[in-house]
Parts: sequence; C-alpha cells; structure tokens
Amino acid sequence: MNKRVVWLYPLVLVFLSLPFLFMHVTALPQKMLTDALPEDGEVKDWVKHRAMQHYEGDDLYEYINGGAEIYHEYGFVQVAVQDYISDAGKSVSVEIFQMASPSSAYGIYTFKTDSKGKRIRLGTEAQLADYYMNFWKGPMLVTLTGFDETEETCQGLLDIANKISANMKRGGDRPSLAYLLPEEDLVDQSLKYFTGILGLRNSHPFFYLDIAGFEQGIKGDYTGGFGLFIFRFGDDSECQKGFDRMEGQKDRKGRRFFFATHQEYLLLVLGEIDHQQAQNIFDSTRKKIRS
Amino acid sequence: MIFPKGKVRIHYRRDFMDKKIGRREFFKQGAKIGFSAAIGYGVTSPFVKGKGLPLGEENVDIAVAKGSDYYASTIKAVECFGGMKKFVPKGSRVAILPNSQSRHPGSFTKPEVIQAVVEMCKKAGAKEVNCLTWLTPENWEASGLDVAVKEGGANLKFVEAEETNFKTVPVQGWKAHKEVMIMKEFYNNDVFIDMPITKDHAGNKFTGTLKNLMGLNYRPNNRLFHRDDWKTNPESIEFLDQCIVDLNKVVKPTLCVVDATEFITTNGPFGPGTLTKPQKIVVGVDRVAIDAYCTTLWGLTGGDIYAIKLGFEQGLGEIDLKKVGIKEIKA
Repeated sequence: MNKRVVWLYPLVLVFLSLPFLFMHVTALPQKMLTDALPEDGEVKDWVKHRAMQHYEGDDLYEYINGGAEIYHEYGFVQVAVQDYISDAGKSVSVEIFQMASPSSAYGIYTFKTDSKGKRIRLGTEAQLADYYMNFWKGPMLVTLTGFDETEETCQGLLDIANKISANMKRGGDRPSLAYLLPEEDLVDQSLKYFTGILGLRNSHPFFYLDIAGFEQGIKGDYTGGFGLFIFRFGDDSECQKGFDRMEGQKDRKGRRFFFATHQEYLLLVLGEIDHQQAQNIFDSTRKKIRS
Repeated sequence: MIFPKGKVRIHYRRDFMDKKIGRREFFKQGAKIGFSAAIGYGVTSPFVKGKGLPLGEENVDIAVAKGSDYYASTIKAVECFGGMKKFVPKGSRVAILPNSQSRHPGSFTKPEVIQAVVEMCKKAGAKEVNCLTWLTPENWEASGLDVAVKEGGANLKFVEAEETNFKTVPVQGWKAHKEVMIMKEFYNNDVFIDMPITKDHAGNKFTGTLKNLMGLNYRPNNRLFHRDDWKTNPESIEFLDQCIVDLNKVVKPTLCVVDATEFITTNGPFGPGTLTKPQKIVVGVDRVAIDAYCTTLWGLTGGDIYAIKLGFEQGLGEIDLKKVGIKEIKA
C-alpha cells in the first residue's frame, strides 16, 4: 500500500463521520425533551399516538400561530408535542416547553395558570384545571390537555404528568423576586411573574404604558382586594425614572394606586386600599428586600 | 423567517383620528370606505360594490341566538338578521374564514357553526362555498374542522404560504401599515363571511371579527404587525392593533358569524385556558359593534380593547352598544 495514502484514511473517516456527528449534536437538545416523554407501557392504558412534533426558536410561530410572542418574551428554547391515546379512545396532548432558565419556566407557568386552578403536588409547582394541567420543573414547562372533562381523561392527565415529572431530573427554584411579596393575606396561586410588557399587560391589562423599562416584575393578589406589584429595574436611577414617569398617571379603570421605590425596586399597590395600608405593605416589602 | 423586503414598508404615525360618529354617519362612512378601498386596489369587489352595508332587519344591527344546540343557534341567528339569502346571491361563490388556530377546546370555530353556515349558503343558491386558509392540512385535521367543512359541502382551499399566491393591496387611509398582502384566491369569490371564534389573545387581549382577517393576510406580512421592539416598547402593542384596523380597511366582510358558544378567556389564542360558555352565536355586519358586544361576554368593554377603539375612531363601526340594535333570541 502506498504509504503516502495510508495517513489519509483517518482523515477521510473523520470527514465521513462529520454529518453523523452533527446530527447527533443537533439532536441532543431535542433528546432532553423526548427522554421525558413516557414510552408505551410506562403509563397504564395510555400509548403514544401520532408522530411527535418538535419546534425550536422562531419555528414556534408555525405551531402557535399568532400566540408565540408571549413564549418568546419569557425565553422560549424548544417544544416537543406528543399525543397519547387510551384504550377507551380518550386522548391527551402533551407539550414540553424548554425555556431559557427555571425563572423563565416559572414565568410562563404563572402566565398560564390562575388562582382558580387546583394545586397539586407534582414537579416544582403544578395546577390542574377542568380539562388541562400545567407544571414546571427546572427549565421545563409542561402543559397537558385532555379533550373532555371525564374522570378517565383527568386521571390520564395526572398519570402521564407524574411519569414525565419523574423522567425529568433537573430542578430549579423560583426567581428571587417571587419571595419578596409579603405572605400575609396573599391569595394562593395568584402570583404572576413577568419579564416584559406582554406578560404584564396580560396580568393587568389596563395599566401597562407607564412601567416600561423594568427587567422583571412580580404581582400578587391580596385578600383585602388589592394587588401588589414589585418591579426590578437595572439600577436605582432607572428605577427613579420609572417612578418619575408614574407621577400624574391614572389607572384606566379609575382605581386608586400608590407607588414607592426602594433601591432598584418600584413598588405599586392597586385596588381597594387606603394610604395607611399601602404604607404598611410597602414597609413589609422593604423589610423583605433588605433581608 | 424571510420577510419580503422592499415589498412591504411600515410607517407609523400617532395622529389617530379622534372623531366620534353616530350610527347613521357610520354606515355612510362605511360605504365610502368600502368604495374607496375597492377603487384603490382596482378590483370591483362585490363585498363593497357601491351597495353600502346590508343593514339586516329594521333596528337589528346584531342578532344573537343562545342555546346548547350550536347548529340550530347559528341558523336562528342568521335568520334573525334577515336570512342568508339577503347576503348570498344565487350562483355566487362564497368565501368563509373560520378560525382553526388550535385544537384546544374553545380556541377554534365549532364544526356545527361552520356546517350550518355552509348549508345555509348552499340553500341560498351559492354556486360554491370555499373555506380559505394558509394554515396546513395537519392544522385542520387536528381540530377536526377539515371533516366539518367537507361534510358541509364546502371546498377546503389550502393556499400555499408563498408570496406569489398573495396580492399586495395598498391600504386607503392607512395609519400604520401601508400595504397588506391578501391571498389571491380570496378575489375569486363574490361573498365573504368572516367566522371567528371570540377569545382571549395574549398580544392584544381579544380576538374577534377584526383580528380574524389576519387569516387572509400573508403570514410574513402579519409578522410585520409586530415591531422589532415589541418586547420593550408598549407602543408596539398599539401598533399591532392599528395594523389590524388597517387590514380591515381593505377587506370588508359581507357578513360576520361569530362563535361565542364556548371559548377561552385565558391563554389565548392557542389555549388551553379557562373556558367560558355563553352558548351564543353573534351575527351582524358591523365588526366594531360585534366585537364590542363579544367583549361584554367575558367582563370587558369595547373600550378596553385598543383595536376596537381604533376601529371605531377610524370609522369601521360603532363602539357604543347603546346605539346598536341588538336582538337576542333563544334557539
């Protein structure tokens, strides 16, 4: 054999294997999602139905036509969609959204849930509504939809969700901002975390024009009939600008509101509340920020 | 995503009209807008052809039928508004635009509603009924609406999302979007029935007759309704609403049949979300009035939704429901 040619063999091999290597590398992120999906036989009475769909980045517009923006605002990475069908012909759709971080997953979770849903123990936080459920764990948000409200379908949702949660190994915590709301009289599951104006506007549609420029925000409802918003700005001066913009503003529904600052935080209460109560809740919040 | 650079330009002005008009004046203006839009893009569109807007029965601007049988409610509501014959001439070709955005409950126009409309059109003497969409067949299959359309006797026409299948149309009196790109297939029809499901929308809070028309517009052109800075600039949401209104200046439905039977009030437009079940079918021609009415079904008002407010201010319809003749019947 020609010695000059032999040394080329490893190079040719490497070259030929490049496409396979590339395929493997690009499939890795998708594998994170597919590994979480239960295989046939893993959930009693339920099997996979139809091929899995996968979308990443801007492809999300292909899947959620007209509604992908909110996912992007929170930091969308990719989604896998898989249907399951039961022996009795019931069906459940599973969507596993990988978000940029646990905070992102928590944010879109709070966007998609409300205080009326039933809290269940699953993942980091989970909620069951009439015919669907959401849970988040690590950077993942999982939405399961049944197509009716029968007991069998709801049980299927829970069984499949439990298996998915068990298959997900990565955990994560809520953003620190979520811990700044005073707990006393806070309505369970009323928290909304936002990172942009779409989330904020959906959390409170009649009051959004005046708070542009914040980096993160959290809102909680209180049993007294008011909501507390905490906005974090890049620094104290940005926050002060936000504060200045608030002066002279009116709520579009004519409701009363109070606002104050603390370091880079802008605090705002809106609803059934008087000046003294507002002062008290601002003090409690400031104490939490300091601690 | 590739945008048709050079084809579509965006302009934005904040000098929105602030003139409020009465019902009578609105209908006059509506007819004028329709006519000027028609001559503007050189098509003698039968949707707007000098007739002005059909007014329905005397004092009935919006007909609402309530009942658990959605097929029957649809027929009753249309009859209450004067019957399909009033809007669909014999031998005409009818385009319908239902919403098939997602398969989640309360996020797409119900099959019974579509079937009822298609059958009424056929009965009125329509030569053909064409359900137009640039969504994929998989999308229609998933919602089950492909079967409903076909069983009703309509053609489900998939328009490939390629620029050549869309016609660039200048917007007369535009405020934010100078040109839109409407599917060419649309212009092969004589009558247009707008058939949205009313529901929540994460972008501008509400979907109804006005926003549904984005289903006729070229998708990359729709994407231009969202400005680059929409994540940080609240005015970009207003921009989206103004683009929707501009689109509605080009296309004027002959009739609107809105599914307000069961729909999502959270997590729209895709869902899943909280379902509310008013069990209503809403029929009319005044898009602003219909959308304003539908907002009240879930605790909002027309004034809460920027697109509706802008539509009123720019002469597309009446926002004040006290000035609108609403007839509600049980089906």
